[in-house]
Amino acid sequence: MIVAIHQLTAALYLAAGLLAGVGLVLARPTLSRAAVAVLVAGAALHGVAFVAFHLAAEPPPLTDLPASVSLMAFLGVLFYLSLLMRSRLTALVVGVAPMAFLGAFFAALRLPHSEHVPFVGAASSWPHAHVLLASGGLASLAVAFLAGVVFLAEDRRLKAKRPMPGGLRLPSLEALDRVNAVALVVGFPLLTLGVLTGMMWVEGTSGRFWTGAAHETWSMVAWAVYGVLVAARFRAHQGARQAAIAAVAGFAFLLFAVIGVGLLT
Amino acid sequence: MRVLVLGMNHRTAPLEVRERFAVADPAPHLTKLVACEEIDEALLLSTCNRVEVVALTRHLDAARHRLRAFFHRDLAGETPVQGAAALENLLFEYVDRPAMRQVFRVAASLDSMVVGEPQILGQMKDAYRAAVECGACGAILSRLFQSAFAAAKRVRRETRIGERPVSVARVAVDLAKQIFESFDGKTALLVGAGEMIETALEALRTEGLRSILVANRTQAHAEALAQRFGASARGLGELREVLPQADIVLTCTAGQTPILGVADFAEALRARHGRPVFVIDIGVPRNIDPGVNRLDSVYLYDIDDLAGVAAANADERRRETMLGEAIVLEEQQRFDGWLLALQAVPTIRHLRARAEAIRLTELQRALQRLSLAENERQAVESLTRSIVNKLLHAPVSRLRAEAEREEGLAYLEAARVLFALDDPDMPGAEAAEPAALDDPLRGALPDSEDPEDT
Repeated sequence: MIVAIHQLTAALYLAAGLLAGVGLVLARPTLSRAAVAVLVAGAALHGVAFVAFHLAAEPPPLTDLPASVSLMAFLGVLFYLSLLMRSRLTALVVGVAPMAFLGAFFAALRLPHSEHVPFVGAASSWPHAHVLLASGGLASLAVAFLAGVVFLAEDRRLKAKRPMPGGLRLPSLEALDRVNAVALVVGFPLLTLGVLTGMMWVEGTSGRFWTGAAHETWSMVAWAVYGVLVAARFRAHQGARQAAIAAVAGFAFLLFAVIGVGLLT
Repeated sequence: MRVLVLGMNHRTAPLEVRERFAVADPAPHLTKLVACEEIDEALLLSTCNRVEVVALTRHLDAARHRLRAFFHRDLAGETPVQGAAALENLLFEYVDRPAMRQVFRVAASLDSMVVGEPQILGQMKDAYRAAVECGACGAILSRLFQSAFAAAKRVRRETRIGERPVSVARVAVDLAKQIFESFDGKTALLVGAGEMIETALEALRTEGLRSILVANRTQAHAEALAQRFGASARGLGELREVLPQADIVLTCTAGQTPILGVADFAEALRARHGRPVFVIDIGVPRNIDPGVNRLDSVYLYDIDDLAGVAAANADERRRETMLGEAIVLEEQQRFDGWLLALQAVPTIRHLRARAEAIRLTELQRALQRLSLAENERQAVESLTRSIVNKLLHAPVSRLRAEAEREEGLAYLEAARVLFALDDPDMPGAEAAEPAALDDPLRGALPDSEDPEDT
C-alpha cells in the first residue's frame, strides 16, 4: 500500500508540475493556482504514506534511502507551502512540484513492493532524528537552490533588458532573495543538527563519533562549505546574486555529498 | 431594423478636430435624435479618441442623412471644419454587420489607439447608461451593447491583450515590480525633472511608494518638486550622500557628462549591503554611466531600453489581437443569431393568435351544445389549451431555431403560406397588424420561455 500511495503521490506531483508549466507558459494564473491545489493534495497523500510507514513497521524505517528521499521531498513541499502563505511565490510551484515528483517517484521505485517484506528499522532514536533533521535541512536548501536558479535567470534577463517571454510572470528578485535567506536560516541549523545526530548515531553503533567513512567525510565537508556560505551571506552582507550562486552551487555539492557519495560507494 | 454607426476616431480625424466634436453630456443630443422618425434607438460614445453614434433605424438612407446633419450642424457648431466636404472625409460609416462589429471591436479595445487599454470599456458603459437613462437605448441596442460588453470581458479574460504595459512610465513600474516585491518601505530618488520621469514617479506612488527624495541643480526647483510629491529636497551636491538610501533612482537632467558613475554606485552598494537598485535614466545625453549596469544588484534602464521593452510589449499585444478578433467574431455571430431570430417573432405571434382564435371559437361552440358543470368547463378549456400548445410547440421551436440562420427566412415564409397567415379573413388576423409587426420585441422574445409552450 505504501508503494501505491507513493505512486499516486508522484502522479499528483507530476500533474501539479505539468499544470504549473502550462500555466506559466500560457500566463494563466488560475492554472498555477490549480497546480498549487494539486500539490497540496499530493502533500496530503504523501503525509498519509508516512502514517502508513509508521503503522507498517515500528520504529519507522526512515533510515532507508528511498524513505529518506521521500521524506525530503515531503518536507520540501511543506516548506514551500509555508513560504507561499507569506509571499507571492505561486510560480515557483513549477520547480517545486517536479522536484517533489522525483523524490516520490524514486521512493515508489525503490521501496519494497510486498507488504510482507519487513522494513529495516533502527533500534535507537538517533538515526531517525538524524534522517528527520537532515532531510528537513536538505529540503529547505533545495528550495533555496530552486529560488537561486530562478533568481539567476531573472537577473540575467533584467540585466540584458529582455522582456519577459510570452506571458511568464515570475516572483520578484526581492522575493526570491528572501526565500533564499529564509531557506538558509531554516536549512543550515537543521543540517547542523542532522550532522550532530548523525555523529551520535555513529557513536551508538561503532563507539566512535567519527569512523572516517566517505559518506561522513563528504557530509562534514558539505556542512563546512555551507557554514562558509552562511557566514558570507549574513556576516559579510553578500549581494543577492552571489547568494543565489552560492545557494545553487552549495546545494549541488550537498546533494553529491549526501546522496551521490552514498550511491557511488 | 438596420444598425448604423457614423463617427470619427483617432485614425480618421486629428486630435484638434476630435476635441471640437467631443460631447460632455450626450443626453440632450440623443433625446433630439430619437425624436426623429428615422432613428429608433441611438447611443453616443465620446472619448478623447473617438466620437461615434450608434443608431437603430428602419429607414437607412434617411437615418444616414440625419446623422450626417447631426455631425455637421449639432456637433460642428458655428465654425465648420474646413468646409462641409472636409468633415465628410473625416467620418466613417458602417452598416449592419460591420456596424455591429465596430461596436464589439471598440468595446474589446481592439480599435483603440493603445490596443488593450482598459478605459474604453468603462467609457462605453457610461455612454450606454446615459443612453438608457434618457430613453434613447431600447431593447435591440441594449442587447447589442450587453453582448459587446460580454465579448470585451471574454477578450480580457482569455487573451493577454491588456497584460503588458506599453507606455514608458508603466514599463518602468512593471520593471520595478519584477525587482521589488512591494514598494512599501522603499525610497525613490528623483534627479532633475521632466514629464515622463514625473509620470513614472506618479505611477510608482500609486503602487505604494511613499519615501521620495528630490535633487535638482537649483534648490528652488528641487523644493517645488518636493512639495508636489510630498518629498524632501536635496541639492545635486548631496547626491552621493543620499544615493545609498535610494532603491529606485530616476534621472532626467540636462548635462553633457554623467552625473553618477560606476564608483558612485559601487560605494552606495557597499553601504546598502548589496540590496538592489533600479535606475531609470531618461536623460539625453545619459545622466548615468552605462557601465553601472555591469555592477551586481544594479539594474539600469535608459530611455531606449524602456522604449524597447514598450515596443516588444506592444508587439505582444498585437499578436493577442488575433485571438481577440476571433472571440469578437464568435460573440458577434451569437448576437447576429439573436437579431435574425427577431424576424420570427411576428410570424410566431400571428400563428399563436390564429390557433388561439380557432380554439376559442370551437370551444365556445362546443360549450353551447353541452351542459357542463363549472369544473367540467374548466377541464375542457384546459384540455383544448393543452392540445393547441402541444401542436404548436414543435413548429414554433423549429421556427425560432431556423430564424437564427440566414436560410431561416424560407421556414418563416413556408409557415405563413401553410397556415395562411397572410389571409385577412382568417381568425387571428389582427395579430398581423403593421403596428404589431413593427415592434417584434413586444410580446414573445425569441429566447423568452413561455410556460404554456409545453
